[in-house]
Amino acid sequence: MPENELIQNLDLDEYKYGFIDQETHVFRTRPGLDEDIVRQISERKEEPQWMLDFRLKALRTYEAKPMPKWGGDLSKLEETLEEIYFYVKPQDQMERSWDDVPENIKNTFERLGIPEAEQKVLAGVGAQYESEMVYHSLKDEWESQGVIFDSIEDGLKNHPELFREHFATVIPPADNKFSALNSAVWSGGSFVYIPRGVHLETPLQAYFRVNQERMGQFERTLIIVEEGAQAHYIEGCTAPVYSTDSFHSGVIEIVLKRDSRFRYTTIQNWSNNMYNLVTQRALVNENATMEWLDGNLGSKLTMKYPSCYLMGEGAHGSIMSIAYASDGQHQDTGGKVVHAAPNTTSSIVSKSISKGHGRSSYRGLCKVYEGSTNARSNVECDALLINDTSRTDTYPYIEIEEKRSTVGHEATVSKVGDEQLFYLKSRGMSEEEAMALIVRGFIEPIAKELPLEYAVELNRLIELEMEGSVG
Amino acid sequence: MSLESAVLKKLGQGAPEWLCRRREHAWNVYKNTPLPTTQSEEWRYTDLSQIVDLESLKFLLPGDVDLNGSLPEILEGVLNENRTASGSSFLVDGLTTNIDSEASLSAQGVIFTSLRSAVEDYSDLLEEHLAVEALPPEKGKFEALNAAFWTDGVLLYVPRGVNIKLPFRTVNYLSHAGSAVCTRTLIIAEAGSQVSYVEEIISEDFDEITLASSSLEVIAKEGAQVQFVSIQQSGHGVFCQSAQRTLAHRDSILNTLNVGLGGSVSRVDLNSQLLGSGAKSDMLGIYFGDQNQCFDHNTSQDHVASNSGSDLLYKGALDGSSRAAFRGIIRVHPGAQGTDAYQTNRNLLLSDNARADSLPNLEIEADDVKCSHGATIGQLDKEALFYLLSRGLSRQQAERLVVLGFLGDVMSRLPLGDVVDEVTQAIEQKLLTHA
Amino acid sequence: MPEESTVADWVKVASLDQCLPGNILQVEAGEFTIVLANVAGEVYALEDRCSHQDYPLSDGDLEGSQLECLYHGAKFDICTGRATQLPAIKPVRSFAVEVREQNIFVQI
Repeated sequence: MPENELIQNLDLDEYKYGFIDQETHVFRTRPGLDEDIVRQISERKEEPQWMLDFRLKALRTYEAKPMPKWGGDLSKLEETLEEIYFYVKPQDQMERSWDDVPENIKNTFERLGIPEAEQKVLAGVGAQYESEMVYHSLKDEWESQGVIFDSIEDGLKNHPELFREHFATVIPPADNKFSALNSAVWSGGSFVYIPRGVHLETPLQAYFRVNQERMGQFERTLIIVEEGAQAHYIEGCTAPVYSTDSFHSGVIEIVLKRDSRFRYTTIQNWSNNMYNLVTQRALVNENATMEWLDGNLGSKLTMKYPSCYLMGEGAHGSIMSIAYASDGQHQDTGGKVVHAAPNTTSSIVSKSISKGHGRSSYRGLCKVYEGSTNARSNVECDALLINDTSRTDTYPYIEIEEKRSTVGHEATVSKVGDEQLFYLKSRGMSEEEAMALIVRGFIEPIAKELPLEYAVELNRLIELEMEGSVG
Repeated sequence: MSLESAVLKKLGQGAPEWLCRRREHAWNVYKNTPLPTTQSEEWRYTDLSQIVDLESLKFLLPGDVDLNGSLPEILEGVLNENRTASGSSFLVDGLTTNIDSEASLSAQGVIFTSLRSAVEDYSDLLEEHLAVEALPPEKGKFEALNAAFWTDGVLLYVPRGVNIKLPFRTVNYLSHAGSAVCTRTLIIAEAGSQVSYVEEIISEDFDEITLASSSLEVIAKEGAQVQFVSIQQSGHGVFCQSAQRTLAHRDSILNTLNVGLGGSVSRVDLNSQLLGSGAKSDMLGIYFGDQNQCFDHNTSQDHVASNSGSDLLYKGALDGSSRAAFRGIIRVHPGAQGTDAYQTNRNLLLSDNARADSLPNLEIEADDVKCSHGATIGQLDKEALFYLLSRGLSRQQAERLVVLGFLGDVMSRLPLGDVVDEVTQAIEQKLLTHA
Repeated sequence: MPEESTVADWVKVASLDQCLPGNILQVEAGEFTIVLANVAGEVYALEDRCSHQDYPLSDGDLEGSQLECLYHGAKFDICTGRATQLPAIKPVRSFAVEVREQNIFVQI
């Protein structure tokens, strides 16, 4: 079979999370967005006046900001946004016991493997269905130490002062068009608080699922890591395959106090009809360490650049990312590190694979402000191209104001080497097996950082995708 | 005269109709192209509105330049250096004052002449290539400005198979504060020929902003080898704007070196087009800034044909409160399989107030490629410094040597020995002022 | 006194009724573009250029004594120029202000 045909046959039918549930929401706003819809969302959530004011101001900011002209193709997005549901409430209340979650939603998450995961080694699990968290649980041993792992709405209700002190301080609504949109219509997401000195030994995990067709999901997560505390948060995202486009735009803010350590892992596996435009930023204080581990496998277009603002002396930021773009996909991802204090260090390692007509772009910023003496930053980007129709781009911005700093950036682009393939085939492997082995080797440095079940999943995906990728 | 169509009329007096039309067209493009702002990606780090008001500059015309006076000292110095060259020319405020070349070369059909005389003598050649093929006005605001208002420049034509050992040299000298001088260079190397060309830009120090706009078009036909070198040593107050586009056809080698030392603001737009299979382009750059100097390099490597190669290396050292911006892009177009493309930008920050921005970009649309880029920004190599200090050198001497070594590394790739010596001396001269 | 000649100039930039309490106003003073802000009758002056990406602050909003940049949401303390909200990190330049006979003067 000719190569192209093989690739088409492979398609993304292999996307195993593409199934559709029956719609069973208890409330949803009409399609589109205006002030009235923002008021409805706020009212449903029984919010204080300041939050409604915040949302309405953000809506005006969103409306005033032009659509970005850089990054991916957003020309059809405006149309999509006119037709989507900005708020779909899946059930009346959030459950703390898995047994109480409605049957159809429970089935969905069981197919995605949530209870299994929970039984394993997680400190806490959250599940968001459409616009709200339907389930949240935290092991008693952590709860008794003062850890908070809640839906963002409950964070606002139950910890109003802590919430207001940090909310939107890392990412102001006006930061970009989509942070403004999220600020206006946010719903769902996690509120996490790790008290001083507490080391969470196992990860917290949140699953995000969109089932409704033409749906917009706007989760908002706020994480506060107190002095000397340590934790790891994992999010996974999936959605059914529809012929119409859906939209996901999250805002994730993380505040790391001094000497703390936090890792945020994302495995984004949205279906290929999803626009995924996310703003993630961590404010890193003295001697704290922030690690973003970002896997972007799904979606139609992802634009996402996790950032570390290194504000305190000795702060460290690390961004590791894998992007995989196949037919019809554009992964415009990367990272930002901003050095604003002495002895700050950062590293970005990005690996991307483009296959078929897929396009992956690395876009990054390394900024060193004057006064950040002895700042060190290193950026490495490697791109692998599978077919002659694949595309890769690299757009790093390096802005240095401090002479006593050292900054390096390197990027390479390559295709799978004929010699490598030849060698592996001579050892009895099929071409597909050889290709999958080479691709796995390529992403291994990052894949090995992933939680085991995700690493296995990634390998499986690569094997499937490499079938028929060579002619 | 200020910027208006009357200037065009003056420039067009006695000129062939095609040229008048071409200038008129460029003028229209200029008028319809807004001045780039820092909102545009390509001008992100240079705010033109803070540098120059194009409308207020005095555009010098042939009648405005007085060529009878004695030569200024700085120009005398260059003239007396007794360089070995196949031909040399001098431009004062945008007009050629002397041009000559070895007699044997014209017998072989080599043309080395001022652009003004070429309009009369080689009208067909210019009509075919000037400001249409490599650098049409549509490329940008300054490209349009230059195409409309150029006063003079150089045409270098090398016939098929002619191999010229010594370089052609041009000195471009500016003397009028607050003026705008637009010059152009067109180099055509026919199949299998070999030629090198070195231009220098020098001037007095000015207390008003003065624009030196130059456009360079190089066309290397099949198997031709061309080396272009620009050494920019203009004085204070000069905004040196240079647009360069090189077209490398099948199996040709088209190399460039841009040395930026002078001027207040220097902007180079260099686009290298690899149009034929097997074409190669080495793109070298050196800049060394002090005081408030700004160097802005915007380069692109377009791999259109298969099996072509390009290798870019730009290195700069920044002292005082100088700034450098480098924006480079490698574009591998669909079908350009077998491309080898590299791009490296390295910066040394020598002072607390210096600043460097670097944007090395890749856009790759073919899979069988070898591409990489790298950028570094850092301080002087401490180990090298320590070694030199341990050998009894003063800190100042040691720092000069390390900087020279850092920049000199670029020139090790340049085949023109005399030019390497001159550039090294110029850098040394400038380093002497580094405290 | 020799110092006299180095003392910066006071420049009249507006009259007080052009910048009423709670309002901001863009003015020119010498080579600077300045944003004036009237906080409860007290007038302050910052350079009208956000330290994040150089956009004019005078397009933004005054909230109490905080001036918010319209373009990316950075905030500055209007009295000192200190950055109080990401993505801005560096301060913006602040100028001394005096009101003399209903006219606003800025020292540049």
